[in-house]
Amino acid sequence: MKLYDDYKDHVDFLTIYVREAHPIDEWQMKSNEKGKDDVCYAQPKTLAQRVAIANDFTQRFKYPVPFGIDPMNNAANDAYAAWPERLYIIDEQGHVAYKGGNGPFKYNPKEVRDWLAARYGQVKHAEPAASPDKKS
Amino acid sequence: MKPIVKWGLVALGIAAVGAGTGLSFMAGSPKDALQMVRYALPYMHVGNLKVGSAAPDVTLVALDGESKFQLRDRIGGKPLVLVFGSFT
Repeated sequence: MKLYDDYKDHVDFLTIYVREAHPIDEWQMKSNEKGKDDVCYAQPKTLAQRVAIANDFTQRFKYPVPFGIDPMNNAANDAYAAWPERLYIIDEQGHVAYKGGNGPFKYNPKEVRDWLAARYGQVKHAEPAASPDKKS
Repeated sequence: MKPIVKWGLVALGIAAVGAGTGLSFMAGSPKDALQMVRYALPYMHVGNLKVGSAAPDVTLVALDGESKFQLRDRIGGKPLVLVFGSFT
């Protein structure tokens, strides 16, 4: 979200919600289980189910980024080879300016940040104030 | 059985065990490795798009579940960062 906050005045962002990566009826991750992250959903079989999960997500995290949901024909997923997660930058002329690697291992938001920083400058954040030393 | 066939089968067996071990390590456990092969690998693609490719237009659904919009309508004035993913 920091990336979005830092550069939303310069570029547009769009989250595209695709088929679930680790639903409970396929390859569920232990970290998703109840009592941990509590992200337990079956793979949606209908658009309504996919929309419901997308809304749970945006509401749980108060997700501010503009959002679109891939319909059940998975056209966006297929066109962009997106699953399970991927980042792209599309330039003003409608061409791919950056294509990120497939998640989880090659998903790298820093590469997007570097691209944006090269064009719009780096956004620096103030260092958190250090707690004063306590001396006896 | 001819020696070359025998040793070929042995090599194949060793490769299979190696692949299974590698996948288990990557996925976290043998069970996860099997589920990864079954549910993840069929969907993971490199894709045809490259830097410079025209961005495909697709129809997307809004969070209300009814409104639709075209990706091409979001392209133009500024660069567009696309974030693909899901909740799980």
